[in-house]
Amino acid sequence: MHLFKYIWRNVMRNKLRSLLTISSVAVSLALMTVLFGYLSLQTVVQREAAKYDRVVVLNKMGFAAPVPIAHVDKIKKMEGVVTASPYSWFGGKYENQPFLFAQFGVDPDALFEVYSEYKIEESQLAKFKSTKNACVADSRLAEQMEWQIGDKIPLEGSFTTVNLDLELVGIYEAPQNTGSIFFNWYYLDELLKESVPAMSGNAGSVPVKCKVDSEVTLMCESIDAKFSNSENATLTRTEAAFAKMFADMLGDVQLFIRIISLAVVFALTLVTATSMAMSMRERTTEVSVLKAIGFSRQRVLTMVLGESAMIAMLGGILGIAAGLGLLNMLSGVPSLAQFFPFPVSQLVGMWMLGLVGIAGGIGIVSGIVPAVLASNQSVIDGLRQVV
Amino acid sequence: MSESSNDPVVVVKDVCKEYRKNDNVLTVLHNMNLELAAGDYVSLMGPSGSGKSTLLNLIAGLDKPTSGGVFVCGQDLGRTSQSQLSKWRSRHVGFIFQMYNLIPVLTAYENVELPLTLTPLKKSQRVQQVKTALEIVGLSDRMDHYPRQLSGGQEQRVSIARAIATDPTLIVADEPTGDLDAKSGGEILDLMHRLNEEFKKTIIMVTHDPKAAARAKRNLNLLDGRLVNDSDLANAEH
Repeated sequence: MHLFKYIWRNVMRNKLRSLLTISSVAVSLALMTVLFGYLSLQTVVQREAAKYDRVVVLNKMGFAAPVPIAHVDKIKKMEGVVTASPYSWFGGKYENQPFLFAQFGVDPDALFEVYSEYKIEESQLAKFKSTKNACVADSRLAEQMEWQIGDKIPLEGSFTTVNLDLELVGIYEAPQNTGSIFFNWYYLDELLKESVPAMSGNAGSVPVKCKVDSEVTLMCESIDAKFSNSENATLTRTEAAFAKMFADMLGDVQLFIRIISLAVVFALTLVTATSMAMSMRERTTEVSVLKAIGFSRQRVLTMVLGESAMIAMLGGILGIAAGLGLLNMLSGVPSLAQFFPFPVSQLVGMWMLGLVGIAGGIGIVSGIVPAVLASNQSVIDGLRQVV
Repeated sequence: MSESSNDPVVVVKDVCKEYRKNDNVLTVLHNMNLELAAGDYVSLMGPSGSGKSTLLNLIAGLDKPTSGGVFVCGQDLGRTSQSQLSKWRSRHVGFIFQMYNLIPVLTAYENVELPLTLTPLKKSQRVQQVKTALEIVGLSDRMDHYPRQLSGGQEQRVSIARAIATDPTLIVADEPTGDLDAKSGGEILDLMHRLNEEFKKTIIMVTHDPKAAARAKRNLNLLDGRLVNDSDLANAEH
């Protein structure tokens, strides 16, 4: 009989207590997995964004301020630029479900050049370019919404009185889940001109595809310099920096997440330690018997630490698995696809090992005091009237 | 499973054992001298507090004398470190407890195998020794039973199998029949007698039961930490 088997039997000795301890570790680790997974996602988003030689142009005053559509044409003509597109968020309701998925008005002629990693059939792209109220959808979104080519997608404006009557003409594949549909910016602008003229002519933000050999950082400076004296000066960032800007906006939240995580780990360690201390207290005589028949202090120490580590690791692995499952599920929810654009398979990293380490650490630390007490326990005191 | 030698297995020489609490000193054993030959079967009797358990603890290597020396199988236990004593006990001493003290989460087989996991024996050798030990105590058909599935007498027999599994030089038993009915107690005493007679095991047994003591070859009586009577029952019979 291996020591491992004996440790396992001890874990299963009081099933209810072990189950409750394992559950408490599992629930907490699942929560931590989601939180750390989200933080890791920001890194992946930045890393992916750095691949595609893109910059993003905003109004210097921020997201709320407009970037005139005239800027887009001027940017397109700049040296080092492949093309650029308006990128205007709509935020309409679909079948009375507000913000179910992201909707952007874009230039159909430029979109698939700017986002060259998005793939769409030529015939569908041609129809997207030639049809005024056409739209294209992310393949994952189309699957979730059970859309087929030719379906009507009516969007009711939430922030304007404008309603869009879109027709799905294409489905594109993207490396990450964009959870978005794209429609013709000019169709939107035309409607805005009729009903809310003050809101028309706004490109939103402008993603710009740069030539491969261009220096994107210098490109940002050139674009901003070009519009520095205009009424709508710009703030241009590389796409990676743009993603980082969003992540930095979470800066305080990240710190908060880490502090909460530390508190959770501390609380869990106490919970597991209490459970182990109770368990070992019930086994005082048994430990003395083991020591009497020849178990060394080290062996007793290993046995108790092994038991607490096994409980914590079981909880940890279950919790991490549940957390990863939850992350995967979140990445499949259309309204959350923008926040969780990548499946778990693309988030694999050291942070996962770190969580396993945390689980193991909780087990070891929580087991230290009961283990040392058990290993140092007097055999005679433990046996009392026996021998 | 055999043990035979003319040299004494246990030598207790001028042993004193004191316990200190604050400024109070309690002397439990006074200049104790004792020798146990290989193959001895000794019962240790005396009223509570007479020092018999303390003496048993010293001989089993669970405690150390305040002065004097305890030598078992030539090993000076007073000068042996705790870690060495653990190893020494696993090879030389088998324990039988009044309350059996089997591990409840292990089967009879696994309980008997437990001390063997501390030895360098291969799995196949361990299997053989466990089976032999369980056969000796007559529980070959109960090896997959957990302690809760056994009667008190059967539990004590498993405990004896655990004690003999490593083929120890010395078996120490603390009131092995104290928690059993007369019939089961009798069976345990028969078994211990067999271990001594057939397998030549040296046994030292603490008991309050004169009938149990009478089954031993030699009877020691302790009073207030002193040996007051040493009857060689085996020779007296002759």
